[in-house]
Amino acid sequence: MRHIIRRITDKAFTILTGTSVVLLTSVLLIILGPMVWRGAKAVIFKDTIEFRKMQLDLYNRGNSEALKIETSETESFRRTVYKIVDDFKHGIDTEELIDKSKQIYRQFGKELRYRGITGKQYQKIRSLARDLRGRLQAAFESNDKKIIKENIDYVLQYRKNKYFVDTTAAEFFTLAEDFYKTIENIDLNKRQEYTASLQQIEEVIFQLLGPRPDEPLPALTMERYGATRWDLAQKLLDNLLWSQQWIQQEAGQPLTKIRVSRAEQFAGTKLEPLFGYVENNLAKMLKPEYTFYWQYFIDDSTPGHYFGGVGPEILGTLLLTLLAMLFVFPLGVISAAYLVECASDNIAVRIIRMCINTLAGVPSIVFGLFGLAFFVLFFIPLFGGPSKPCILAASMTLAVLTLPVMIRASEEAIRSVPQTYKEASLGLGASRFRTFVKVTLPAALPGILTGVILSISRVAGETAPILFTGAVALGPLPKSLFDPTRTLSYGSYDIAVGDRLAMMVPHNQYGMVVTLVLLILSLNAIAIVLRARVFRRLRGE
Amino acid sequence: MQNLELKPAVDKYQPLVLTPLEDIRGFLFHHLGRFLLFLITFSSVLLMLLIFFFVIREAIPFLMKFNLTEFLTTKSWYPEASTPKFGALSLIVGSLYVTIAALVFAVPTGILAAIFLSDIVSLKIGDFIKPVIEILAAIPSVAYGFFAVLVLAPWMQNKLGFTTGTNALNASIILSIMALPTIISVAEDSISTIGRELREASYALGATRFETIFKVVIPAAHSGIIAAIVLGMMRAIGETMVVWMASGNANQIPSPWWDLSQSVRTMTATIAGDMGETPKDSLHYGALFAIGVVLLVMTFLLNIISEYFLASAKRKSGKS
Amino acid sequence: MQKGNDNMLIPSLETDTQEIESVVSLSQKNNVATKKKAPNCECAIVKSENFSFYYGSKAGVKDISMEIYPCSVTAIIGPSGCGKSTFLRSINRINDLIPHTHIDGKLFVNGHNVYDKNTNLVNLRQQVGMVFQKPNPFPKNIFDNVAYGPRLQGVKNRSSLQQVVESSLKAAALWDEVKDDLKKSALALSGGQQQRLCIARALATRPNIILMDEPCSALDPIATGKIEDLIDKLQNDYTIVIVTHNMQQAARVSKRTAFFCLGELIEYDSTVKIFRNPGKKQTEDYVTGRFG
Repeated sequence: MRHIIRRITDKAFTILTGTSVVLLTSVLLIILGPMVWRGAKAVIFKDTIEFRKMQLDLYNRGNSEALKIETSETESFRRTVYKIVDDFKHGIDTEELIDKSKQIYRQFGKELRYRGITGKQYQKIRSLARDLRGRLQAAFESNDKKIIKENIDYVLQYRKNKYFVDTTAAEFFTLAEDFYKTIENIDLNKRQEYTASLQQIEEVIFQLLGPRPDEPLPALTMERYGATRWDLAQKLLDNLLWSQQWIQQEAGQPLTKIRVSRAEQFAGTKLEPLFGYVENNLAKMLKPEYTFYWQYFIDDSTPGHYFGGVGPEILGTLLLTLLAMLFVFPLGVISAAYLVECASDNIAVRIIRMCINTLAGVPSIVFGLFGLAFFVLFFIPLFGGPSKPCILAASMTLAVLTLPVMIRASEEAIRSVPQTYKEASLGLGASRFRTFVKVTLPAALPGILTGVILSISRVAGETAPILFTGAVALGPLPKSLFDPTRTLSYGSYDIAVGDRLAMMVPHNQYGMVVTLVLLILSLNAIAIVLRARVFRRLRGE
Repeated sequence: MQNLELKPAVDKYQPLVLTPLEDIRGFLFHHLGRFLLFLITFSSVLLMLLIFFFVIREAIPFLMKFNLTEFLTTKSWYPEASTPKFGALSLIVGSLYVTIAALVFAVPTGILAAIFLSDIVSLKIGDFIKPVIEILAAIPSVAYGFFAVLVLAPWMQNKLGFTTGTNALNASIILSIMALPTIISVAEDSISTIGRELREASYALGATRFETIFKVVIPAAHSGIIAAIVLGMMRAIGETMVVWMASGNANQIPSPWWDLSQSVRTMTATIAGDMGETPKDSLHYGALFAIGVVLLVMTFLLNIISEYFLASAKRKSGKS
Repeated sequence: MQKGNDNMLIPSLETDTQEIESVVSLSQKNNVATKKKAPNCECAIVKSENFSFYYGSKAGVKDISMEIYPCSVTAIIGPSGCGKSTFLRSINRINDLIPHTHIDGKLFVNGHNVYDKNTNLVNLRQQVGMVFQKPNPFPKNIFDNVAYGPRLQGVKNRSSLQQVVESSLKAAALWDEVKDDLKKSALALSGGQQQRLCIARALATRPNIILMDEPCSALDPIATGKIEDLIDKLQNDYTIVIVTHNMQQAARVSKRTAFFCLGELIEYDSTVKIFRNPGKKQTEDYVTGRFG
């Protein structure tokens, strides 16, 4: 019995340890898998004609002639959409109708003044026109068909009036006739509901197709183009076809969300064909195509991160890392050389080692504080530089942060150079210095390089130390080392929590962080391969 | 071509005795060079001192004006109020809270995984698993934070019904993932340095693998495992981006204490979040540096502890 | 079990001894043949007086007094850990690399005590070349390996470097094998070739003493044969001190042999005497294979 229990515990334990590793692997997959999948969509996706327009306008990419032809091909489909909406809107949007009637009245008044009629006549016609306007307004605002009919009929009896024929006021009658026709097939009581829904529909169509050709160009770049991506267009289409409503299904229960088909909502109206039309002809209006948008890695982003890529972020990250390496490489290698070649085990060396270990354990945010207090406020101003966060301060802070990594890696690399190399060189009459420079260092270089790459990957991913020393979320490209810069790491933070605009474009959100992760993982992969090769070489000789 | 035979260049040999000039030059080169190298190497010490000095220096004006005990023992943190209050207790507790919660997840998993790598599977399978750990270690913290905010938080809110997705649980889960690589690699090192002899002795007495590992291997490797836990703790307590993004940043001590679904605020997140909008030389600015000093002292102490255990682990493996 | 083993060993030992004797007589003939050609000055080129070398408090070698004569091969034999390598490596002070060591006594090279404070180590090591137990070419190409020494001495001229490299490789009997790809990595050569490259590298600095620390221990018999031929050829011009654990080798190549045991010099005499008629019991036990 006892034996069986022992065996079961043993088995269970083995399975448990295995589970922990499976857990670890699945965590990695859960974190990286969806992130990379979504991030890849920033580069490889189905673009639309709007995207190609945007590329041509902002970056001058693509063929403008071909685009013109494509645009004209989409035009007729788009026009149909606009026409359906406009026709329907005519009878629905009372505000607009009232505005229109007021406008006609004003215009007519102006015309009247230059007609050369007597003041008395002017007064009379004018008051008649005001009366017509008032009647129309009453008709537009009413929900009762009878009242509408009365008013419209009243207006229409002046149709043949000599004062109005061939003047602006004639538009009163077209307005009235149109409205007369419109109310035939709509439920007037639903007008309120229609108006709200129509507004949403127009908004969606605006997002889908961009501003109408005759409209003035919006000021914001992001509003100048419709759906630039096919997946975005699909989402908008869904918004167009279905409206979301919060409905209380049972008393006392919280509201629940349901989807209502807009085609049903607008059944029997002039708008009904719109939904089927857009659904069937969306591809013809947007002309989706697969694209490999490699310029994502070099493009600047406009506005926020709505369009464009992560070019400045990559540039900033590279700048910071390379500069940090420039500071830390000589310091790290010389320190390591001293620790391996010269140092005996005395108290000073022990203190140095302890400090290196402590330095490795200092939280990254404290490095940020140190960078602010020392480099930004003290060290750079000491040499006449500006006392503000800048690339120089940030890279120096990162250099301090990564110094322990660099020293340890170089020390290991220099230590792993076989003693026989040194003996051979010394035996040939080389001094220790020459031996180090000519033999030990070249042999240790691949190992040191591994350390450099690992440091780079550490530095590139760090965010906390550069928060106050030189990173910004938005801003122009740095002109000198005394300007702050955008970086991938800080950008990833900002795009995840700070940037409302970015929430609308998840592909750009994920694209940024995936660029960072892939950059770092590929650096690590290079380091691992390099290390394996070095070990094989030093072992296999 | 004819005169290619190599003979010792006896007539051209330099004397074996150093000339006085060479002697002086050699002496200078040797000692000065060594001293120069030492100075450069000493820069690590210098930097360490500078870090302590400058962080403390900025905190001093605050510590002069504000009572240290009040700073460490009261809970109200209202730095921008008309009568500002700087009680960092709930921040310190918040940091320790998520750290300890993270360790609760990470330590068992990490040690089990370390045992799996050292005792259960062959080296070949281990070579497939180690890259997983290396990748986990390499992923930058901001990417973990990104995952916490955009994936884990909505999931918690929608599927688990938490009032907020950014809470202590979220932060500590992510922190535990980040601490795992450190814990696994240090623990695995110390477990595998316990030699085969000890294990074989136990197996020879009829113990199962479970008994061998729990009664022999782990007791023998305990210093290394403790060092692993302490190093994992250091990683978690000093982490900024993840806790800033995922912990919810609510200045409170969770009550009841086991309710991980509440938001907390840590020291690191406070520094990161507040520093941007704090004018230099204000009391608030000094208070943030004072928090930095607290962090620095904590990690320094943890570092000494881990060094002690690592050294004792090394000593033991050296003996056996 | 124990006894049986002993019985098994004795006959094989006897054949071993016979083999050595035949080898000695053979090499003796060679020596006679070359003796006339060799410049024969009898003043010692390396001389140690009560020389001791300590690792910490433990003595590596103690109280060694011996003289090594120029233009001949001197072999140092002895069981492993007897200090023969330590002594060899003391001659050009390569042991300085090891921390916590100190010495006692005197060691003269060309009449100068190398452990004097004012020794020019660079010049010393230039004159005393060394070949190590394991072939240790630098991870560079063949040319750069051989040119390393001359370059240290300030030779920059490409054609004179080429000349030195060629003559060194020829002297090390490696030229014909590598002359077409001097740019090849030295690590791509075979073990025997690497060791001859190391000899060429040592020759390129034009030393007059060459120390060889078990140069054939990592090589196969054919490569060993080539190196031994090379040593035989080189002894016309160079003083060679060779440490070996292989007694046949010592008998084949050397003129004089020193026997070390437990850090002490037990016996030092001509090779013929050591192998045929050793003066000490310990030496006899070792050369006949009773211990070691």
